[in-house]
Formats: sequence, C-alpha cells, structure tokens
Amino acid sequence: MRRRPGIGGLQKAAAARDQYRLLGENVAKLRTDMMKEQLSTFRSQLEEFARKHKNDIRKNPAFRAQFHEMCANIGVDPLASNKGFWAELLGIGDFYYELGVQIIEVCMLTRSHNGGLISLQELCNHLRQRRKKDREAVTEDDCLRAISKLKVLGSGFEVITIGKKKLVRSVPTELNKDHNQILELAQGQGFVIVEEVQRRLSWTSGRVIDALETLLEEGLAMIDNGHKDGKCRYWFPCVSSVYSSIGSDT
Amino acid sequence: MQKLADFKLPQFFNYPPYFTLQPVRDTREKQIQLWKELILDYCKSQKIFLIGVEEDFPLFSNSAIDRSLSHEARETFLSAIVGEGRAEWLDKGHRKCLILWHRIQDWADIVLQFVRDNGLEDSVMTVEEIRSGTESLGTELQGIDRTILMRALKLLENKGKLALFKGTSADDEGVKFSV
Repeated sequence: MRRRPGIGGLQKAAAARDQYRLLGENVAKLRTDMMKEQLSTFRSQLEEFARKHKNDIRKNPAFRAQFHEMCANIGVDPLASNKGFWAELLGIGDFYYELGVQIIEVCMLTRSHNGGLISLQELCNHLRQRRKKDREAVTEDDCLRAISKLKVLGSGFEVITIGKKKLVRSVPTELNKDHNQILELAQGQGFVIVEEVQRRLSWTSGRVIDALETLLEEGLAMIDNGHKDGKCRYWFPCVSSVYSSIGSDT
Repeated sequence: MQKLADFKLPQFFNYPPYFTLQPVRDTREKQIQLWKELILDYCKSQKIFLIGVEEDFPLFSNSAIDRSLSHEARETFLSAIVGEGRAEWLDKGHRKCLILWHRIQDWADIVLQFVRDNGLEDSVMTVEEIRSGTESLGTELQGIDRTILMRALKLLENKGKLALFKGTSADDEGVKFSV
C-alpha cells in the first residue's frame, strides 16, 4: 500500500485516533456505569440480606458459619474492621467483639484454677452460662473467630491443638513438645502418673519428672497424693473432664 | 451437684488434687483461699462454732472421690483462717479451733441490735436466755457458742453497754443491759 503523503494524510490519521479514543472512552464509561450499577445492586441486595437475616446471623450459629463461608468465598473479611460497611450493616463485628471480651473475662476468672490454659469446650460452656439471657448460642467456631481477632491486641491469646482437643492459652507460657505430649496423655483421665508417662512415651524418669515439674511451676498441674495406691497423680485442670463436667451442670 | 445437708458444695471439692497440699506457692495460696472460704461458709450456714482437727468434720473428706485431708492440710487451712482473725486455736497443740465467721466485734453488734429490737435496753437477762430464750428464736444468737457469746458480752461490758453478774446458780451469769 502506498503511503499517503501530505498534510491531508496526517490530519486523517489524527482524526482516526480521536475517533478511537472517543470510542474507547465510551466503552470505558459504559463499563464503569455497569460496574457502578452492579455494585449498587450488590449493596442493596446485601442491605436487604442484612435486614432480613440480621437476627439469624446473631442467633443461629449454623447460619453464622455459612455466612462466614460465603464471605470467605468472595474474599471479604466481615471482621476486618468494625467501621467497614459490612460491620455497620450486619452488626456482625459487635457480636464477635462482645464475645472476645467475654472470652477474656472467662480466661481471667478461671486462670487461678487452670494456670491460664483452658479447653475450648469448657470455655464455651462458661460462655453459654454467661450468655443465657441473650439466648444467643455460641459455637466453638465462633470462639475461634473471636480469639483470632484478639490477637491484634498482642495479648498472647492463642489456640493450641493438643491431641484431639483445642486449648486456649491466655498466658505467655511456652509449652514445648514434651509438655504437649503429657497434656495429650492426660486427656484420657484428667491426670497422669510418672510411670505411665515413662511407659507410654518411652521416656526416662528424669525427662518425665522434669517436664512435670515445669508444668507444676507454671500452675498448669496439681499433685494428688490421696489415692489408695499411693502413686502421685498429676492433674491438669485445663484438660480435666471431671472438673468441667461438674462445672457444666451448676 | 453434691450437697452436705442443705449446703451446696463448690466444684473444687470434687477435684482430687485439692485434697493434697500443693507444693507450688501460687497454687497453694489459691487452694488455701478456696478452702478458707468453704470452711467459713459451711460453718456459718450450719452454725458450727468449733472444729476439732482430729474429728470427722464433714468437709475434711469426700467419699465421692475417696479423698481426705491430711492432718497437715487441715491445720494449714485452719491456721490460715486464724491468721485472718476469723478463727482462734483453743489449745497450744492446735487440736480445737473456734470459728468466728462473725468477728467478736460483729457478734457484739448483733447483741446490741438484738437488745434494741426487743426493747431490752434496761433489762436483765441470763446468758442462757440470750442463747436459747424465746426472743432469740430465729435470730443469729440462737444457739451461739457460749465462749463466743461471753467474749462479745465482755467486750460490751468494757464499753459500758452492760454489766455482767453472777446469778443465783453458780453456773449461770446474768446481764444487765444499759444501752
């Protein structure tokens, strides 16, 4: 093709560019409008959803879990900030911040008994007792979410998994692998005996006693010399089913 | 929940290690605190004034979990109450302990209130009447330990609120109130 010379050609090319730009702008504007419309639809739908289901979210733990799943799927964290429009619309933040405060209270209250380590299950029992009047059921899932939000306080709240159980730690005690293994063993009966630990974990008695001594010092264990067989038992209030089962029916 | 008579026992009473004196200081302090409160609450609710360390005091053992307190533990818990001024050892060997869930001063106030409530400001009563007379029926003074009552009356006598005197029979004393 022959290149067209002269000023006419240049003008024509410039006109074509203008045309393209105009078209491009139009398309972009159209897209933005569409996006805006979609967003406003989304927002109004969400508002409607919130209006309709606010109570369900607050009261029904299964619904709440599904809501969180939905949020996770679309990449939104409704708890990221209490000022975000999610929280404002749904009040879902308040629910968890309230729960967080109650979790702290329960941990503080029971700390002298359990040394700052409490099983998630017992924590939930305590919370349900406290919240009886609200008629708002609390699940372990809710507790975990609330605790994950407490982390920003740098208060050392942490969930640790030992065996099948989840424990909530509210003191900065560092538990090593040995301690965790003993706690796992203790989940069976609520206590361990030195020989039993030696046998089950194939440790030397020195290693067992060392770990148990640390757990005693940290206030996580209590000794019991009262059994007929004369063997000293090390009880762990944080995993003891005896204590929590009695506690739950008061 | 387990009960002793109509007394509701706390949860820790069913947790075996609380029946062994704990070696770690912080844990032991907490343990002593719990036992102190339990013993005082129980004595108050059951109107028990005297605990014998060697005796079968209901709180000293729990058959449900097959545990009982050692002599050392009993003495430690009671001594902690004594240290708070809520009890007194009656002997040097620490065998008998007088429990003051109300301090002597508080008992004295209760006596004064009793006198006012019944319009006895200028009356004469025997000590025995204060413990078991019709006026004291249903009040805290009903069945009060004689040692404690006498201590409270002496305190009031020192303040000039009453005068104690020997009655007709040698073993009964009289009280002349002048509130």
